[in-house]
Amino acid sequence: PLQPLRAKPVPKGLRAPQRKTREPEVASSLIKSIFSHYVKMSVSRDAFKIVEKCSERYFKQLSNDLEAYSHHAGRKTVEMADLEVLMRRQGLVTDKMPLHVLIERYLPLEYRKLLIPVAVSGNKVIP
Amino acid sequence: MALDVAGVNTYTEELGSTPRSCRSDMGKMPGARFAEQVPLNFLLFLHRLAEEARTNAFENKSKIIKPEHAIAAAKVILKKSRG
Repeated sequence: PLQPLRAKPVPKGLRAPQRKTREPEVASSLIKSIFSHYVKMSVSRDAFKIVEKCSERYFKQLSNDLEAYSHHAGRKTVEMADLEVLMRRQGLVTDKMPLHVLIERYLPLEYRKLLIPVAVSGNKVIP
Repeated sequence: MALDVAGVNTYTEELGSTPRSCRSDMGKMPGARFAEQVPLNFLLFLHRLAEEARTNAFENKSKIIKPEHAIAAAKVILKKSRG
């Protein structure tokens, strides 16, 4: 009796390699360019790896903190106020260094337009 | 100053009401504003980290930043950036 034709099983090694799912992260080239912009010194390759790992740890910490703050306020959404409190706790925002000054200093103009209210002609304020 | 039609048009648009690119973002929730704020915090964090790493390197009279300087800086700055 004829047996039905079956596709040959492909040996494991020849299969198309499945892409590993990776944790979302900030692009290492971006971290590298920002960090080297701020240090203004030569940085060894291993030190960059440390910085990347450190920024991953930082985001973990940041999200935990923000969750705690919004939960404390009885919300499920993280809002601007939470972040401002956090930055105050981190010692970035102080009475002498308001948040708007930091935004002006560090963020490009496109972001600044969205974050800081500006009065334009016709007595309109954006945003 | 540009006097051609196109130049005049852009000029009046800048001074006039909200530019079109901003308008779409403005209608969104406050979350839109929050999302743009996190990068600021990250930038500030990296700035602090860079400063700390540089001072560490200077203390060791090293011309380049080595892993040990970065590790020491990371320990200090991560602790500082706790909320």
